[in-house]
Amino acid sequence: MRELRTRLLTTLCAAAVSAFSLTAGAAELKSIAILVPEQGSDFGWNQQGVDSAKAAAAKTGVELTVAQGLGYGDVRPTLRELAEDGVGLMLCHASGYNTACPEIAQEMKVPVAIVDRPDLLKPGLVADYTLSGHEGAYLAGRLAAKVSRTGTVGVVVSGEPPSWNSQSAGFAQGVKAEKPGTKIVYAVIGPAAYSDAAGGQRVTGSVIAAGADVIFGQGNGSSFGMLQAVETTKAVDGGKVLFIDVIGDKTTLDKGFLLTSVLWDMTPVYASMVDDIKAGTFGTKHYKIQLSDNSVRLLQTKNVPADAWAPIMALRDDIISGKIKIEPVFDAAAVRALMTDVAAK
Amino acid sequence: MDMILSQSFLTSLVVGLVMAGVPLLLAGLGEQISEKAGVLNIGIEGMMLIGAYAGFLGAWQTGSLWVGFLYGIGGGMAVALLMAVLCVRIGLSQIVIGIGLTLGAEGLTALLHHVQFSRSYPRLPGVETWAVPGLSALPVVGPGLFDRHPMVYLAIALAVILSMLYRKTHLGLTLQAAGDKPAALDGAGVDVLRTRFAAVLCTGALAGLGGAFMSEVGAGLFIPFMTNGAGFIGIVLAMLARGRPLWVLAGAALFGACLSMTTALQVAGINIPTDVIQMLPFAAVMAVLVIFGRRASLPAALGLPYVRGAR
Repeated sequence: MRELRTRLLTTLCAAAVSAFSLTAGAAELKSIAILVPEQGSDFGWNQQGVDSAKAAAAKTGVELTVAQGLGYGDVRPTLRELAEDGVGLMLCHASGYNTACPEIAQEMKVPVAIVDRPDLLKPGLVADYTLSGHEGAYLAGRLAAKVSRTGTVGVVVSGEPPSWNSQSAGFAQGVKAEKPGTKIVYAVIGPAAYSDAAGGQRVTGSVIAAGADVIFGQGNGSSFGMLQAVETTKAVDGGKVLFIDVIGDKTTLDKGFLLTSVLWDMTPVYASMVDDIKAGTFGTKHYKIQLSDNSVRLLQTKNVPADAWAPIMALRDDIISGKIKIEPVFDAAAVRALMTDVAAK
Repeated sequence: MDMILSQSFLTSLVVGLVMAGVPLLLAGLGEQISEKAGVLNIGIEGMMLIGAYAGFLGAWQTGSLWVGFLYGIGGGMAVALLMAVLCVRIGLSQIVIGIGLTLGAEGLTALLHHVQFSRSYPRLPGVETWAVPGLSALPVVGPGLFDRHPMVYLAIALAVILSMLYRKTHLGLTLQAAGDKPAALDGAGVDVLRTRFAAVLCTGALAGLGGAFMSEVGAGLFIPFMTNGAGFIGIVLAMLARGRPLWVLAGAALFGACLSMTTALQVAGINIPTDVIQMLPFAAVMAVLVIFGRRASLPAALGLPYVRGAR
């Protein structure tokens, strides 16, 4: 009985100390860090992550350390170093980091935020921000179907992480809702071909040869290969091929082929994480981006036909009001099924 | 399904085969030279990456793909020089140094790209091709195989030349002896270290050329990490081909064909997991080369530093 009481007291003390340390850590949160695999200048996932982290840090009054160009290997040494330097939240901005980051969070008792693993939430330690721009991708799909001359559009991706699956699905739903007879050609460059620019060009070239005159590309670095293919390959009808990008804004690089982009702004997400750490609720909820707060929006370029933009914005209003509901689809098999069989809404 | 039977789509698949296969061919042939001389060149991925960066830089600065190829060869040889000094001259671990060079090349090219190109992401114009008279008019394979950049033909010719060189020349025997019986070669009065040193430099030149082909012809741009493991696939091709350049050519062609096939299967809407489709190139190359290449053997002194008098 005495042993049981001792164990109970020990457990209670440990829990109290743990809770106190988390609360104390929260109150003392002075700096955060973001870890990205490539340089924060890719006009895409890495750059939006870094820029959003900077904006969130400025908004919440914390310091930011940017660890960029870390590659897709083992980031444990970097994580340990950041933790030892007193960083109070580490944003692990790559799905390839979602094994190492929770491990180091546990080891160093420093909260981390990961992507694509909502099942790994751990109060006080591990949060997930599997974001979905499916609403924006739906609008992009509507626009693509409007402007397609050949009646075939392409989706080229350099991997199938949940965030991109949901956008591929949203795009397909948008295409079919706009013109049910439109063909959608879907191709994956490789299992994790995020930087395979040559692969991006090769696969996009084949998708164009299969009839697509609008390409919805999700690829990080490989999206530049897709863009190169779009710029140097004619559609089967001899006309121009247009490109739809995601996450970042490549307007300054455009040579007249960028139709639009599904832009992401992760500032609200990161600011919420800082607030949650301070409130002691970190790791207990999911974060999202959406059209209603402009954390997801469609880029208007000079290549969008003048008469096409207003109807797309009207659809945006319908999504925000709930008149049109787009459910995110994260599973790769379900996405592939959508490409050939999507009911028109 | 009808769309994948169109001439334009089938042609794009053949083009895809060539574009994916040539960098692997050059890397594999380069690796084979090192391995024949007894040096396991794990740093080939880094050599390709530096070659890709340097090649793109040269082509972008001068407007000439050929100058870019020379830059790429120079870049690859610069990394190879480090490998040769550290592993051949000093005798450090070939595996550790190779991995270190690859990681270093990844970091260096990412940094250089960030400084030079990250705000503009320059892209090269479309590549000019050279049509083989008569053959280029054939349907599908004509424009796919016989209306390509001249470097494609040179790479294929190189495999044939190396095959003859290994079998019929004194230089080929010298290279083989440096990998199989370096002490015997030394006893015959040939400098083993110099032979291996030159072999590693040749590897760097071909790997750099492969990287330059990838960035200049394959992608038309450079981005960090863009070789995406092609160097390691080159090592696999070289090891499985076991000293035979034409087998490297066959392996690279098979790998490229399977890559194109993965695209075709997806475009056709075959509803099987993409991961299974993507496994196809690796599984096919391994199966074919393992089945048909079993009788050949790797050099006896592969991976071992040569020290005169050591047993």
